[in-house]
Amino acid sequence: MAFKLRLNPITIRRLKRFRAIKRGFYAFLALCVASIGSLGLELVANSRALIVSYDGSLSFPTYGGVKLGSAYGLEGDAANTPVNYRELRERFRNEGKGNWVLMPLVEYNPNENNSYEGILRATAPSWDRGHYLGTDTTGRDVLARLLYGFRIAIFFALAFSILVYAIGILIGCLMGYFGGWFDLIAQRFIEIWSNIPFLYTVIIVFSILPLSLGLFSRVTVLLLALVAFSWVGLTYYMRTAAYKEKARDYTQAAIALGASPLRVVFRHILPNSLATIVTFLPFMVASAITSVTALDFLGFGFPPPTPSMGELLKQGTDNLSTAPWIVTAAFISLVLILTLVTFVGEAIREAFDPKKFTLYQ
Amino acid sequence: MNREATGESDYLLEVEDLKVHFPVRSGVFARARNWCKAVDGISIRIRSGETYGLVGESGCGKSTLGKAICKLLKPTSGKIRFDGFDLTSASRKEMQPYRRDIQFIFQDPAESLNSRFSVREIFEEPFVIHKMGDSAERSRKVNALLDKVGLPRSSADRFPFEFSGGQRQRIGIARAIALEPKLIVCDEPVSALDVSVQSQILNLLMDIQSEMGLSYMFIAHDLAVVRVISDRIGVMYLGNIVEEASATELFTNPLHEYTKALISAIPIPDPTFQGERVLLRGDVPSPIDPPPGCAFARRSPIEVSEEVASQPSEYIQASEGHWVEVHPATVRNYDEPKAHPRPTVNPLAEPPEAPNPKLGGL
Repeated sequence: MAFKLRLNPITIRRLKRFRAIKRGFYAFLALCVASIGSLGLELVANSRALIVSYDGSLSFPTYGGVKLGSAYGLEGDAANTPVNYRELRERFRNEGKGNWVLMPLVEYNPNENNSYEGILRATAPSWDRGHYLGTDTTGRDVLARLLYGFRIAIFFALAFSILVYAIGILIGCLMGYFGGWFDLIAQRFIEIWSNIPFLYTVIIVFSILPLSLGLFSRVTVLLLALVAFSWVGLTYYMRTAAYKEKARDYTQAAIALGASPLRVVFRHILPNSLATIVTFLPFMVASAITSVTALDFLGFGFPPPTPSMGELLKQGTDNLSTAPWIVTAAFISLVLILTLVTFVGEAIREAFDPKKFTLYQ
Repeated sequence: MNREATGESDYLLEVEDLKVHFPVRSGVFARARNWCKAVDGISIRIRSGETYGLVGESGCGKSTLGKAICKLLKPTSGKIRFDGFDLTSASRKEMQPYRRDIQFIFQDPAESLNSRFSVREIFEEPFVIHKMGDSAERSRKVNALLDKVGLPRSSADRFPFEFSGGQRQRIGIARAIALEPKLIVCDEPVSALDVSVQSQILNLLMDIQSEMGLSYMFIAHDLAVVRVISDRIGVMYLGNIVEEASATELFTNPLHEYTKALISAIPIPDPTFQGERVLLRGDVPSPIDPPPGCAFARRSPIEVSEEVASQPSEYIQASEGHWVEVHPATVRNYDEPKAHPRPTVNPLAEPPEAPNPKLGGL
């Protein structure tokens, strides 16, 4: 599907207008920075150190294989187990030999169970321990889980949107372009398909899935299940747009020149109807985040121990009186993300409003 | 182009009893309850290098006929032969070489140009579709096309909405002639333009014709415009051609009352001129359910009884190359053509006139 949004003067004006809508534009920047930045999340929240200075040489253990304690002169059991960098830092500090460890901002990784006083339980936010938002019921750092949960959610939502757009646009365009029997049958199929209850299907699918299935395959199945029930909405718009654009003279001119149906659809119809479709993108991302959070809340989302906001919300509501920090943190971060995405959506909708710019005076 | 030598038909385009009917759907099962007979049995022939003017009021099926010839609409029945090849049942693949030969110019240049394409992309598209030339050659062709239609070369990277109406129509014309077609269907190419621009575009079209030797099918509702450009003119009424003759013959000796009404409606730039206006009654009947018999009888200034009106009309050759639909309501001296009977055959059965002198140089 090779099409590009051409930077013709109208597109440029739309982008300018989008930039002029400050709230949406800054929300967009913030989301971009957060999403792209989250690719380097290991440098922000990790139980591995950023830099270790040992015997005058520097090492950067964040990425790469697990290092055993012997690499840093540890003895006994610790020499043959992965390094606990927080303990290593204390050790170096006590030794006073000039060795040091630089830990990331959040010193815990999202799947690490930290027991204090010997039991795994939720602990309140504590600056001293570095649990800035506390820990969840199994002693995992809430902030680390939120950050990693955001990364998974946002990229899951993007992948979801891309797939939904690809399928929705393709089928919608073909329905509108070819019309006739294909349109009729596809419409009936869509009517039946959209009446299948989504949640039951997901529950059934997940109860059938073998437990041995890996994390990645489970996430893929979840993604495909969500996509399978979401592409329908876009076809309505694309079908109408394709019908409308096909009847217009420029499409007829292309057909008269001998353009193939694929060429007509992808070079003429699609770029001209993209403006209406683009406005749905942020809202689709928002709805993907919401639905995956909801599924997680119900326990049908990402397989454990994947960090996610839905799972934190579930824990938080279960322990509302004993550990209120969990639900507070998850709730605030979810609201924040969805608000930002919605701001972007509003701005795009306004900037791409076809009534704002007419092509011809 | 020496068709006589190859023994092929003398005509570039032959349309035979073409019908384009649109279903009017209604009801639960969307059955076609009725048919809108936009084009109802039209036969025309166009020689190469000739301009065939097609006039008629709006809704009479002119554009439908033009689009059907370009295969933008599927004909219901009848035949369209181009260069001896039957286009009617051709598949998209079989059509492809003929797409280069038949082009279309649209009425509204703003609508007919993709606003997301720059002029360069619009001009290159035909070559890309037909896989002609590399990028250097294409860009040479773009410049040549701009020169040909009188646009500055700097406009290649601008977008259609940055031009005026006349300039846009020039772009539309350049796109149509890019593949050096043999026939261009011009669907009211000047009716959306200012009068001063109209003449420029008409001159451009005629220049291109004399340079490239192509044929036009020129559709318009304005007889004055058609008169300037056409060799032969067909007058269309409600899906049928009611009179057809050479341009001079049609204007000096119109037979059909409808043609007379159209001619009398041409504005004459003389405020004191008191011409005789032929006025029609009522409106064009709907092509969905046309009245029986002669479709024009109930509007004609010659009033006839309903009984006479429901009689069918005949299409005869009144004089050499001058065809007219005769009916008591359409022709003043109804009995006169009958008094000098000429073979009442389909105009396609024999060539009605001598070869066009314009063809000499081809």
